[in-house]
Amino acid sequence: MTKDKRFGRRHLLKTVAAGSTVAIAGCSLANDGSGTDTPGGPDDGNDTDGSDGQGAPGEIPELSAFRGSGTLVEGRPAPGGTSIQDLPNLSGSLNVYIGGGEGGIYAEFMDMLENFYPDFSKSQKSAASSSLAQTVVEEVNANQARADVFWSIDASSLGYVADENAYDPLGDDVVEPVPERFRGEENAWVGVAGRARAIPYNTNEFSEDDIPDSVMEFPETDALQPMGWAPTYGAFKSFVTAMRLLEGEDATREWLESMKSAGTERFPNEYVVSNQVADGALSAGFANHYYAMRVKNQRSNPPIDLAFTQNDAGALINLAGALKIKGTGKGDLVDNFVRHLLSAEAQEFFATVSFAYPMIPEVQPVGDLPTVDELSPPDIDLSELSNLGPTLDLMQEAGVSG
Amino acid sequence: MSGGERAPDVDRVSSIRDRLSGGDGAVGTLLTLLAIVIALVLVSPLAWLAVEAWKLGPRAIELTTRPDTVEVLVRSVTLVAVVTGASIVLGVSMAVLTVQGDIPFRRFWTVVCALPLAVPSYLGAFAAISAFGPRGALSDALAPLGLTVPTIYGFEGAALVLTLYTYPYVFLTTRASLLSLDASLVEAARTLDCSRWEAFRRVTLPQILPGIAAGALLVALYTLADFGTPNFMRVEVFTQFIYARYNGFMRPYAVLLSLQLVAVTAAILAVESRIGADEEGAYESRGNRGGVELGLGRWRYPALLVPTAVALAAIVLPVAIFLLWLTQGGPGYQTGGISFSWAYAENSVYLALLAAGASVVVALPVALRSAASDSRLATLADRLTYVGYAVPGIVLGIALIRFSLEAGSTSDHLTWIYDSVPLLVFAYVVRFVPQAVGSIRTSTRQVDRRLTDAARVLGRSRLGTFRSVTLPLIAPGVATGAALVFLTTMKELPATLMLRPFGFGHTLVTYIWEVREAGLYGKAAVPALVLVVVSALSMAVILAGGER
Repeated sequence: MTKDKRFGRRHLLKTVAAGSTVAIAGCSLANDGSGTDTPGGPDDGNDTDGSDGQGAPGEIPELSAFRGSGTLVEGRPAPGGTSIQDLPNLSGSLNVYIGGGEGGIYAEFMDMLENFYPDFSKSQKSAASSSLAQTVVEEVNANQARADVFWSIDASSLGYVADENAYDPLGDDVVEPVPERFRGEENAWVGVAGRARAIPYNTNEFSEDDIPDSVMEFPETDALQPMGWAPTYGAFKSFVTAMRLLEGEDATREWLESMKSAGTERFPNEYVVSNQVADGALSAGFANHYYAMRVKNQRSNPPIDLAFTQNDAGALINLAGALKIKGTGKGDLVDNFVRHLLSAEAQEFFATVSFAYPMIPEVQPVGDLPTVDELSPPDIDLSELSNLGPTLDLMQEAGVSG
Repeated sequence: MSGGERAPDVDRVSSIRDRLSGGDGAVGTLLTLLAIVIALVLVSPLAWLAVEAWKLGPRAIELTTRPDTVEVLVRSVTLVAVVTGASIVLGVSMAVLTVQGDIPFRRFWTVVCALPLAVPSYLGAFAAISAFGPRGALSDALAPLGLTVPTIYGFEGAALVLTLYTYPYVFLTTRASLLSLDASLVEAARTLDCSRWEAFRRVTLPQILPGIAAGALLVALYTLADFGTPNFMRVEVFTQFIYARYNGFMRPYAVLLSLQLVAVTAAILAVESRIGADEEGAYESRGNRGGVELGLGRWRYPALLVPTAVALAAIVLPVAIFLLWLTQGGPGYQTGGISFSWAYAENSVYLALLAAGASVVVALPVALRSAASDSRLATLADRLTYVGYAVPGIVLGIALIRFSLEAGSTSDHLTWIYDSVPLLVFAYVVRFVPQAVGSIRTSTRQVDRRLTDAARVLGRSRLGTFRSVTLPLIAPGVATGAALVFLTTMKELPATLMLRPFGFGHTLVTYIWEVREAGLYGKAAVPALVLVVVSALSMAVILAGGER
């Protein structure tokens, strides 16, 4: 396929997308409805798996290919922001460290990119974000960096790499679409998707007004029991760390102890917590916001909704973000890659597939979630969340071991 | 070897001299040195841990004596004691039942008893959680009947799962001892009016004790070093404590804890070495081997309930759960981003073959020397290789990563080491070579010296004798060792997670780990089943070797 021809198709798509505000509803990701198949396309140049059905190789598919499915996604307006169509082509090979636990969404998005751009290829390695952060620093210090990009699911890990000076700054124009509070200092990193701490509650039992505005009031609110939490989960530990930083160690220990003695039940993860809330087995819980959205998307009108506390640890917003690893010889490619992560399509993808908070104001969060601006996260330096040691000690002492 | 070039008569003389001096000729010394060097290379990652821990200074002592450190130590040791004890009870009784009991389909039950070894214990834990956990498959099935299943999470659950999947070590080693047991001794005891139990205690038990001890050692080391099972069962033992601190920006503390874990390993080895030292007795007599019959009478069939229950819990349950996943899938995002590829299986096999080959090459000198010589150095080399077996993969991973990074930053010629396949294979060898050493050593001990001496007297060179007499005789032992390494490498989780080179692609195990973390249980079905089948094939090789 010639370059001119591709441009022609892209141009056409762009026109269609701009002229149409009708959402392409209910298309599953695995749906082949995006773009026609191009026989003899250069798809065997890609050595990755599971990337079929995302449009013909070498072409950027329609918006529907970037959308998840289900009731929450239907009827969404077209996203604003910069379209991938308007970005320079990705070309070259990129090594990416991906923080594990994102459910394969990020890997899938990169597979899609690889599919659009015949000249682009990526290799990836996945592990816990905090583990990769230390690996990045160790590698940079030993002059043997393996990756060009660190795509972490956790801001504290980005903060750690930034503090250890193992990054190269991203371009000003790259981070520009994202509000300043979701970026690292000196363009060290930029947020790609947001995760808010929230209180999933059973709507048959409570209304939003019944949920206290302050997370510190929960131990005294007996009516909310039984509640559920998942102390082994990283996001819960970040939440406790935030509380420790905001309220002090003693108050946090006390909070954990009284929540425990009030009968808060322990679960393996927050998805289970959210499901149990929807089942009515729990009245409310502590969880990341997207688990309740997953439950909503999979059942018809489950009795679950989210409440958000105000200006405290209970309202922490943590970020997945990207960082350019120091000494990469591919600075421009990394910049362009991150531009793609912040494109309208990518942000729509993260918002509708993993129900993350978009990082650009032009894309709305899914369903009836409040926008990021309507939330009141605590004033806290996210990179400080990496200091996990005292948190683990605290949780241990309170009998809520992580 | 120099022996090959010498004239036959000189050789013959030196052979006689060798025998008189207990086999410690020049070649013997050379072999001992080689064994020592290999052993030292294998434990060198631990030295690096010591260097890292040294950087902590006085804080090291403070951290070591912290209450939570002590708590974890106690919990780990307790778990090891419980699992080892339970494995001995289960393993020895099953071995006696299948070797001496007058049960039908003896061979079938032997395979059944050994089969749990073919299921990685963390997959067993995974299945147990899926079945018995909150809202698990079994819990849901029993709920309408008003039945609740006890929760499987925690210490008891981990002890149960670990016992189910590690007792075959004791079973197999005890079985081997029982098969080589001289029945005439037991008959003599019975004739002398010993009760059946007394004959077992006074005659059989002392003879099979080294076998039991060897199996128990494997169980204890496995339990101590196991990463996946306590992780899935959420028991905070050493490996989990280390992993949490490693990931949580506390790597020096993780290193310190690892050294403590190594110390516990050393203690276990010391205990085993006292029991196992008396090994000769088991192989000396050449009477009516394995001929003891145990009349069970009407207990014959009830006795088979035990292996049946074990097989149901350890094999049928997980396979059923995986098949359930296969047909029903599991919860999760609708995504094809991490769908299964058969290339992952190829990666696993490739790594396991490399590890098995390398382990045999490394194990041969150590095992041959240890079997042929009673010298302290040779024994030390043999013992040293065991240390790596108990080093948790995660810690070995940290040590090797830091060491290889350090090496690469000092010289450009050494940058190939970091993040490479050879480094990962080295980790496998460090962890699993004791299995090869053990089985090669045992088969070498069983080689009749008179055969090799005859070959030497008839003019074969030292190397020629080894090639034409010793090697064919120990080949089953070598094959068993290689199969064991292959099997355990396929199942290995933490070191693979840590050291899999960038761009190498998933193995079966790392893929299972990733989809489990993502909560996409259904996607683990195919690789889990593949892992079980491949492991079962390796088991068949081991059992076939044992029959010879």
